[in-house]
Amino acid sequence: MNRKKDKGFESPRPYKLTHQVVCINNIKSFFRDKSVIGYVELTIFPTVMNLNRIKLEASSARIYRVRVNDLEGLHSFTNDPTLEVCHHESKQRNLNYFSSAYTAAVSAVDPDAGNGELSIKVPSELWKQGDEMKVMKVYIEFSLDQPKGGLHFVVPDVDGSMAERAAHVFSFGNQNSTRFWFPCVDSYSELCTWKLEFTVDASMVAVSCGDLVETVYTHDMRKKTFHYMLPIPTAAPNISLAVGPFEILVDPYMHEVTHFCLPQLLPLLKQTMSYLHEIFEFYEEILTCRYPYSCFKTVFVDEAYVQVSSYASMSIFSTNLLHSGMIIDQTPVTRRCLAQALAQQFFGCFISRMSWSDEWVLKGISGYIYGLYLKKTFGVNEYRHWIKEELDKIVEYELKMGGVLLHPTFSGGKEKDNPTPHLHFSIRHPHTLSWEYYKMFQCKAHLVMRLIENRISMEFMLQVFNKLLSLASTASSQKYQSHMWSQMLVSTSGFLKSISNVSGKDIGPLIKQWVDQSGVVKFFGSFAFNRKRNVLELEIRQDYTSSGTQKYVGPIKVTVQELDGSFNHTLQIEENSLKHDIPCHSKSRRNKKKKIPLMNGEEVDMDLSAMDADSPLLWIRIDPDMSILRKVEFEQADFMWQYQLRFERDVVAQEEAISALEIFPTPASRLALTDILEQDQCFYKVRIQACFCLAKIANSMMSTWTGPPAMKSLFTRMFCCKSCPNIVKTNNFINFQSYFLQKTMPVAMALLRDVQNLCPKEVLNFILDLIKYNDNRKNKFSDNYYRAELIDALTNSLTPAISINNEVRTVDNLNTDVRLILEEITRFLNMEKLLPSYRNTITVSCLRAIRMLQKNGHIPSDPSLFKSYAQYGHFVDVRIAALEAVIDYTRVDRSSSELQWLLDLVQNDPVHYIRHEILSMLAKNPPFTKAADSLLCNEALVDQLWKLMNSGTCHDWRLRCDAVNLYYTLFGLTRPSCLPLPELGLVLNLKEKKAVLNPTIKSEQGPGGPEVTTTMAFTSTLEEEHVVMEPALSGVAMAPQGLKRKAETPLGSSPEPGQVMQEEPSAKASVKSKFPTQEEEDIDMDTVHDSQAFIYHHLNMLERPSTPGKEPSSVEQAMLSMPGTPMPTLSKESTSSKHGDHHHHHHHHEHKKKKKKHKHKHKHKHKHESKDKDRDSHAFSNSPASGRSIRSPSLSD
Amino acid sequence: IFFNCMMGSGSLNSGSRSGSSKTSTSPTENYQLARRRTLQVVVSSLLTECGFESAEKAAMETLTEMMQSYITEVGRCAKATCEHTARSTPTLSDVVITLVEMGFNVDTLPVYAKRSQRMVITAPPITNAPVVPKALIAGQKRTHPTYIPSHFPEFPDPHTYIKTPTFREPVSDYQVVREKAASQRRDVERALTRFMAKTGETESLFKDDISAFPLIAAKPSTIPYLSALLPSELELQTLEETDSSEQDDQTDTENNSSNVSQDDQSADKENVVLPPGGVVPTGKANEENMIDNPYLRPVKKPKGRRKKLKLIY
Repeated sequence: MNRKKDKGFESPRPYKLTHQVVCINNIKSFFRDKSVIGYVELTIFPTVMNLNRIKLEASSARIYRVRVNDLEGLHSFTNDPTLEVCHHESKQRNLNYFSSAYTAAVSAVDPDAGNGELSIKVPSELWKQGDEMKVMKVYIEFSLDQPKGGLHFVVPDVDGSMAERAAHVFSFGNQNSTRFWFPCVDSYSELCTWKLEFTVDASMVAVSCGDLVETVYTHDMRKKTFHYMLPIPTAAPNISLAVGPFEILVDPYMHEVTHFCLPQLLPLLKQTMSYLHEIFEFYEEILTCRYPYSCFKTVFVDEAYVQVSSYASMSIFSTNLLHSGMIIDQTPVTRRCLAQALAQQFFGCFISRMSWSDEWVLKGISGYIYGLYLKKTFGVNEYRHWIKEELDKIVEYELKMGGVLLHPTFSGGKEKDNPTPHLHFSIRHPHTLSWEYYKMFQCKAHLVMRLIENRISMEFMLQVFNKLLSLASTASSQKYQSHMWSQMLVSTSGFLKSISNVSGKDIGPLIKQWVDQSGVVKFFGSFAFNRKRNVLELEIRQDYTSSGTQKYVGPIKVTVQELDGSFNHTLQIEENSLKHDIPCHSKSRRNKKKKIPLMNGEEVDMDLSAMDADSPLLWIRIDPDMSILRKVEFEQADFMWQYQLRFERDVVAQEEAISALEIFPTPASRLALTDILEQDQCFYKVRIQACFCLAKIANSMMSTWTGPPAMKSLFTRMFCCKSCPNIVKTNNFINFQSYFLQKTMPVAMALLRDVQNLCPKEVLNFILDLIKYNDNRKNKFSDNYYRAELIDALTNSLTPAISINNEVRTVDNLNTDVRLILEEITRFLNMEKLLPSYRNTITVSCLRAIRMLQKNGHIPSDPSLFKSYAQYGHFVDVRIAALEAVIDYTRVDRSSSELQWLLDLVQNDPVHYIRHEILSMLAKNPPFTKAADSLLCNEALVDQLWKLMNSGTCHDWRLRCDAVNLYYTLFGLTRPSCLPLPELGLVLNLKEKKAVLNPTIKSEQGPGGPEVTTTMAFTSTLEEEHVVMEPALSGVAMAPQGLKRKAETPLGSSPEPGQVMQEEPSAKASVKSKFPTQEEEDIDMDTVHDSQAFIYHHLNMLERPSTPGKEPSSVEQAMLSMPGTPMPTLSKESTSSKHGDHHHHHHHHEHKKKKKKHKHKHKHKHKHESKDKDRDSHAFSNSPASGRSIRSPSLSD
Repeated sequence: IFFNCMMGSGSLNSGSRSGSSKTSTSPTENYQLARRRTLQVVVSSLLTECGFESAEKAAMETLTEMMQSYITEVGRCAKATCEHTARSTPTLSDVVITLVEMGFNVDTLPVYAKRSQRMVITAPPITNAPVVPKALIAGQKRTHPTYIPSHFPEFPDPHTYIKTPTFREPVSDYQVVREKAASQRRDVERALTRFMAKTGETESLFKDDISAFPLIAAKPSTIPYLSALLPSELELQTLEETDSSEQDDQTDTENNSSNVSQDDQSADKENVVLPPGGVVPTGKANEENMIDNPYLRPVKKPKGRRKKLKLIY
């Protein structure tokens, strides 16, 4: 076909979709049964001869009937492989295996590759038609019964009609997830026009994409049908629906914009939406392009999947973004969300992408123009602060987790060339990404756009956007036959081409560096001043070897503030040049009295007494404009940082100076910080940061600190009454900078500590007084955030309790200060029940405070309170705070029942966001990690998590990736260490041996059963903690070395203060009894002989299978290849003689073993198959076990 | 004697109590002491009459006390009887009724009074009768204005109609006011929450003492976002108050005026965040009728049978 205009876009499908009808009618009551019945009709043009199969996506929908051009078609589900990634019988439990299987499964149904789980056989009568390229109409009747994904029903459990109950439903999903609620081509690159019909109860409103053409009653007048037309070609993932008894607000400024919210919230909606028109105007102005759709709808729903999601001509928001005019803190947050949603309307909804690897362009542009909005609305300071924040975030993430790749290219489409081997998931598909990674991906994308802007100027940048938009809007108004629609898809190459067309500049190197390659740059800078030559000798080194970094070659800007002014220098970073000489303009101290000119032209007086008399340098900044994605660690003297803080006008420089000053606890630093705090002109976020830095410095200077506690007198001067300095003024938050400072200062002050490492009494009383005298009666604004932060301040003031021998915490032995704190918290928490605060901020803070009290051992540690607040039916913020506390409890107290409770919630909670948050919080604050042993780590848990990610989360990509993430955090990439290992090959697991040798370390005995991990692990996987025993001496010789290294590092995380160690005596005893001979042994393995003997000894331990339970095969698999040495008898003797009482037990095990013996014969076969898949299987052949098994009679013989 | 005693009975009780303090010299007490002494004389003469030659002091005191009580009771009852008949001064018949009530045979009284061997007791020494405290004199007693004839009753005492402004000096000390407001609010809150906690379900932070720091149990609500998002009535009330007392706001802001004025110049644009109140263009209500928004259009009636919108394609 004539695809000239398509710029290389090749549809992966043998047909082209032009129009789709979606009709959903609630024949049964929509809400009561949470079921949906409807049909879709796709109008397609075959692009090949003899089109006989059409593949669509239709996850979980029940298909009743398929017709193609009024002829019955046959349909068959190609069993959706994502439902269950790895098949049930597989005992594989390593994440590498799962990740590749999952990627393969997602690929198998990837619409971008032309695949799909619904395959329709075109009736043979129509095959001929293919020749003539005639239109085909595919009609599919389907139903969804209580869908787990795609549509979310919120049906509050109260009396009354559905409308009175504010029951509503809305579509949701991560990336292209429309397949979950109607059959479609679920790809961002397949555009078509839409006709949408929804029949709902007469009391409800159905909001969907496009123009509402008309609303018609059904014949019984009890229902209404909403007819929508979307004439602009749109991809299926950008279609959405929200149905509910919404209150309708037509935007007073723009009548084509309509807002919807749940009943009773209309006043909030009015307030919240009062500035949307400004955002519209801004975007239309900078893009010089009208908003592409003829209307726009915003819907605020409860239990939203994400805060903001954009679809064609509508956006779905969380109802929690609504706020009244009295709320300060939420206002900017909500505005940002609205601005984000609107930016995505242009880039993301209207302009779609060709393939997943072009996603960065859309996210980049929408993020970038959103940044421009921030700059205009919130000011340059806020913008630069935001850029710095985002840069710090991405740098931190990449250095920790490895690089983020914006434009992955997959040559050949094979899994082998994985561009990101450092990640435990594949980035081939949006559905395999960890959520955190995707957030960072978006963050990096807009930062890279900013880099491009730096390169080609904003004017050109906006011209490029305008060009993309105008091409798309021309294309959108064309009929399908003109083949113009692909103009509405953006691709990386197309985007780069229009940049070079518009600007005439080559940004190839920039793209190569940041888009085609992952990683950030890490600079270390230091300098010396050469007085003779009057030259600044700057040394800039790079670390490009550690993970997440890359090498940077190119220009870098350095700004030097000298006595005579500020000078920019552009240095060239090259392969081998580390040192750069920068000539200085001023001689030191020549003009003593002169004012010093700054970068912005301002001239200021400075007290120069602090600086080095020989040097004219005041401060130096590397890459001040953040035009490289980098982290800079720069060394300069403390006085230089202080000058930079006081006199540099750039907020980024000020923030850098503040964080640098943390390591200079001197009176001069103190003064500089205090001065900044007092300066009204200074950006309030800088002042807030200064508060915390000051607290840190004060703690380091504890012994030499003079005067009242840091910030106390300052606070008194700024916020307390003149006549009685101990009483705070009645609240008046009209000045927001002061408000934010007033909120933050007590929180920072509470971090102060005295010589006993306690919060000074004076500070605590001061905070208690603030709470006592807080008076909001005359205030226009709500003080809920302020009060919440005062509670946070109380939380911060807590220090670990001095505990005497795990004494039980009772009311009587409560510390007096703690009693006061608890008194306040109780009162606040109880008052919240009577007069709830906005977003229940106070409850959230109280829960955190209570957890802190528990954690510090002031009150008994108990999760039941948090569990009751975590129930469904509390406000989502409260639930999250409560869950966070439960998760923390789970970690500190190693409670398996709480962990189980959390995992149950992940499976059963009605709110998707909560499920997601539980898993990601668990991953952030894991109950244990792969590096440390834990009682919690047992086979049942592994199985449960595995099940969760394998099949339990198939309806929600995000949740599945969260589960993968958690699995990775807990067990790592390889087979979890607590499992008996099925593979062959001998690897000495030093970590676990240690667990045996050192009686203080708990064995991994789960509470569920007597399943003790094997002391010797046999695995073919090679990991850091494992040392492969090679047949030669070398491998054995390595062992002691490794052992010592391990022995130095503490294994278990040190118990939290106040935590009652729950060392189960039974567990201990069982460990002892199982390994009697090694109990007190301190094995010194200096000689090869010793260590070899040691290993044999441990091999014999396996003779007695310690896992009588579920997976005997794995252990026995290991034993199959075990050398039949004379050692077993020896060890048997020792056990039986020393511990006769365990003899019975022993027999029992043997009995079981026999029973299972025949079983593993057929499993054996299976294992061989899986072995091939294992990437490290070569290690197996090297192992002594296998070598010996040839020589000696194997157990299986 | 009898009546004498009766008249004084009202003050006797109190007198006997405070009489123990010897140092008292006030006229009232002197008067009462004299009465009591007379009573003692009566008792002793009665004793003598009965043939006693001497009596212990304690016995004397007891008998005197009994006598006094009896007389007091007679007086009280007589007064009550008289008041019962809407009079203010007891008459002889009141006393008689009283005595009958108390089981005294009145008929024996004249005989007894006229017995031969009775002793004559001198009247108690005349002391200054206790001064009735003067009625409060507040201001000048008003004379009749000229237009009121003089035969009309006089004005009552001024204190019955004169209004004395009795406000206390307002506590102007700012610190005390704040202190009071704060502790009052705290007390109210604590009492309220304790009450709620006592009357409803609670959760406790301590296992050993459930009553310490009681927390009102967390109850899930069916629509949790409503209470979390909507401003509480109290907040709305304050909002109205602050709006109406715009003047107060201005004085308040004067405190911060230095801050505010500087802000305007400051580079930071944070205060652009909030427009001055959610301004919605006026006359919106009128406009709304003209707005052509598809969601405001009336719902159409179904036309004919099965006229589903088929694609116009």
